[in-house]
Amino acid sequence: MARLQIEGLCKGWDFPVIDRLDLTVEEGEFFIVVGPSGIGKTTLLRLIAGLETADAGRIAIGDQDITTLPPYKRPVAMTFESYALYPHLSVFENIASPLRARRLDKAAIRQVVTEVAKLLRIETLLDRRPGEISGGQKQRTALGRTLVAEPQVFLLDEPISHLDAKIRHELRLQFHSLEELRRVATLYVTHDYAEALSLGDRIGVMGHGGLVQIGTARDVFMRPRSLFVAQHLGQPAINAVTAHLTGEGAALHVRAGNSSFGFPVVAAHAAALGRGGYRQVTVGIRPQHVKVLRNGEDAPGHHVIDGHVEIYEALGANGVLVADAGGVNLTALTSLERDFAHRQPVRLALQTDAVFYFHADSGDNLLL
Amino acid sequence: MARIRLSQVNKIYRSRGHAVHAVKDLDLTVEDGEFVAILGPSGCGKTSTLRMIVGLEEISSGDVFFDDQRVNDMDPQARNVAMAFETYALYPNFTIEENLSFPLEVRGVPAAERRKKVHNLAALLRIEDILGQKPAALSGGQQQRVSLGRALIRDPAVFILDEVMSHIDAHLKFQMLFELKRIHQELGKTMIYVTHDQVEALALADRVAVMSNATLQQVGTRNQLYHEPVNVFVADFIGEPPTNFFPVELDSAGDQPLLRAKNTALTFSVAAEQGRRLAASGRRDFVVGLRPQNLHLDMPGGADASVGGVLTAEVAINEYVGERTILTLVADGHRFRAQAHAETALGRGEQVRLRYASADVMVFDAQTEALVA
Amino acid sequence: MSEQSARLVRTLLLIFLGLWLILTLFPLYWQFITAFKSAAETNRTIPTFWPEVWHFENLAAIFAEPSNFGALVDSFIIATGNTVASLVLGSLAGYAFARFPRQAGGENLAFWILSNRMFPPVAVLVPMFFLFDAMPWGTDSYLSLIILYLVFNMPLATWLMMVFFRDAPRELEEAAYLDGYTPLRAFVKVTLPLVLPGMISVAMLCWIFAWNEYLFANLFVGTQVRTFTIVIPTFTHGSQSLWNLQMAFSMVAMLPPVALFILLRRYMVRGLSLGVVKG
Repeated sequence: MARLQIEGLCKGWDFPVIDRLDLTVEEGEFFIVVGPSGIGKTTLLRLIAGLETADAGRIAIGDQDITTLPPYKRPVAMTFESYALYPHLSVFENIASPLRARRLDKAAIRQVVTEVAKLLRIETLLDRRPGEISGGQKQRTALGRTLVAEPQVFLLDEPISHLDAKIRHELRLQFHSLEELRRVATLYVTHDYAEALSLGDRIGVMGHGGLVQIGTARDVFMRPRSLFVAQHLGQPAINAVTAHLTGEGAALHVRAGNSSFGFPVVAAHAAALGRGGYRQVTVGIRPQHVKVLRNGEDAPGHHVIDGHVEIYEALGANGVLVADAGGVNLTALTSLERDFAHRQPVRLALQTDAVFYFHADSGDNLLL
Repeated sequence: MARIRLSQVNKIYRSRGHAVHAVKDLDLTVEDGEFVAILGPSGCGKTSTLRMIVGLEEISSGDVFFDDQRVNDMDPQARNVAMAFETYALYPNFTIEENLSFPLEVRGVPAAERRKKVHNLAALLRIEDILGQKPAALSGGQQQRVSLGRALIRDPAVFILDEVMSHIDAHLKFQMLFELKRIHQELGKTMIYVTHDQVEALALADRVAVMSNATLQQVGTRNQLYHEPVNVFVADFIGEPPTNFFPVELDSAGDQPLLRAKNTALTFSVAAEQGRRLAASGRRDFVVGLRPQNLHLDMPGGADASVGGVLTAEVAINEYVGERTILTLVADGHRFRAQAHAETALGRGEQVRLRYASADVMVFDAQTEALVA
Repeated sequence: MSEQSARLVRTLLLIFLGLWLILTLFPLYWQFITAFKSAAETNRTIPTFWPEVWHFENLAAIFAEPSNFGALVDSFIIATGNTVASLVLGSLAGYAFARFPRQAGGENLAFWILSNRMFPPVAVLVPMFFLFDAMPWGTDSYLSLIILYLVFNMPLATWLMMVFFRDAPRELEEAAYLDGYTPLRAFVKVTLPLVLPGMISVAMLCWIFAWNEYLFANLFVGTQVRTFTIVIPTFTHGSQSLWNLQMAFSMVAMLPPVALFILLRRYMVRGLSLGVVKG
């Protein structure tokens, strides 16, 4: 069982980047680490690869403790964010590199490399140099080099971040169908939350010092443990409103902005919030849970408030509306068909049963 | 403030025997105060076009006018354009305030006036509280705003941004896009934004000029490009997730025209008017373009009155991405995508029916790739 | 700038360049024609710019004496020997400075090494002689000059190789580690090929310095070992220098470095610009 086990991993320079991190990735699991740039995702991969030495902690693959092993002795393979292809060698030789290190014979090498190249659809490029191929092709070459090594753990560092949007979509689908990656434990790092949610069996959201939440895509997106997690998954980012709770028991109410912004707390949430006796909270509402009502349209089960348009912008597949509702700026998702004028009055329907409540200081999700 | 007009502009790079025609016969007008994006893949000619507008490249043929004044031979300084670059190029040893006032200092603007302009601009860009810091202490987003500020401080007639978002994280990017839009609204300057990312272009610009292979493909508002793309390239390039394409032939005309994917049972119904146009073209081979957002899961009980058709397909991949689900489906050997509600719990292998409206079906000529209906 | 003034500037530039070209090429031209003149012709008060009679036998006469050819061989041995030593030692040191700056002593030590190249060699001429005289390899031997020239070539080699190694991306070595290569194998497979153009340009610089060196060679060697640089001044008749023979010999001595440069010039340009432009 080639499972990856990390216990109490610590690494820091002037300040701790990774602080007592624990993680287990099962054999065959596709685990994605998502988080903002500079948080330490690449450092984590480099520690597992052996390119950095940990200050403390233990890393094991299967039964083997690899914490003190140099990188060339660890059963891992890694694709670098910059691809790190050898510029003086052909694509064939780049992919064959791990096999040459093991001194396999020519025929065996040729067979394996051609197979992998066909799988990644780069078999026509084998004679070219990295300088002569496109970004997407370089990425596939780097991936080929990793696959060929047949390691016990795959480490992928932002493999598709620097590619055109269209190619990113294609390659995302390819990652879905690559069975080879599903045979062993894979650790995939990205800053793109859509990629993370789409590809991961489990997702680890990385914050300062380590993983702040680990769960399935639906877990981390619909039950975020903290405001940090909620803010880093989703585009546009979740609306975070500083508010206070008024009333008691079942009549709990949220108030914010210039006091004309407010809505009743649904029964299920009121119970949990009441128990804790919280008064100051940060309310989190996802833009997709803020509906912009058309004229005469109604929204049963939603709380409707009035506001006026600040900015309206198209963003990819949706329109994004920022409205001022009672002194609170709310971002809402609409369909692209609609159009809005500056300061135009709008009616917003909030899906109050999908609202999150976070602790005003720590940011923890009060409903979990 | 300036109205910029490019008339039959060409750029040919010559080196050691061969010539590269980077920009071909470009006609483009940017109205005074308008925000125009020049969008296209790398190598399409957008950067060359930009450099000719700014004055960093010679114009091989054609003319560039700023407010009806021919500027072909004018140096960049004389044209009064300011440019913000992909790399921020901030002076690392100076504070932000010094970085911002430098362009004014060079022009001999007195200190009191400089300070006032810097503070006004800093307020607009929301960087007042970091004026005393050095660039190294700032985040990428903040550095980007300072870089924009340094270009804006000179109060140029035209503000040009060259791929300024490339190095910003996805979730910060959205905020920056809003910032840029707000800045444009408040300053009202003519802005030209060059990028390869269509999400950015469509979010920001009043009009977008799509370029490919040195040629301008189409200029229009977001709606025009989205609903009436002039050819396959524009339909493909604009839209997220990418548009689906199917090679088809005209199967029957009349009141219920059908386009059939060759040798399959996969058909697309279009409106009678569209069918007439297709028949009138005299061609048989076409390409159907259908956006993933316009393929709706056919739910029992769901009412849909618009004219359209239905596709049956099998789910290949279900991608849950938080706000929505993207389904990759297969029908008669053709792979395509549809966008669905986040809670769509369809698994691999399940059969589904998808509805589409004829009005959303785009038909292109298979040869010329131009929009026919 | 108007059309007219642009043309004027261009013309002035051409004139200037033309003058510069003449200034640079004149010594070579003079060397060439002097090599084929008779001794008498070279001593004329009014010089001739073209040999009246072409004395091709000057060259033949020089190489009729086998020890003259031997001098070229000696120079070659010393230059090549020193280049190899400088390159090997310099590369090892340069790699250490590039990859492990803290352990290697840091930027300060590296710069101190380079600073050794900055003083005038003549300052250590006499002390070095006494030092080498006391050494087992003495002064009049191949080893003597090979080791001596290290003083001048190795700092340069170290500094330049450090720059070239810095430019070779560390990530490529890391990728090689993950492929399963030990650091030594990774160095040979990945780093070495990348710095090879740089190494070649460093080699050329070292070789040319050693080949042309006269000051130390003159003092240190003369009997067991003779470099061509100290042989040239021996072409005299009594106290009178035979310019034609000296020019002929130096012309021949110019050929090996020129040939090397022509052969390796591709690498030289690449090597020199590697440190300047990011790939």
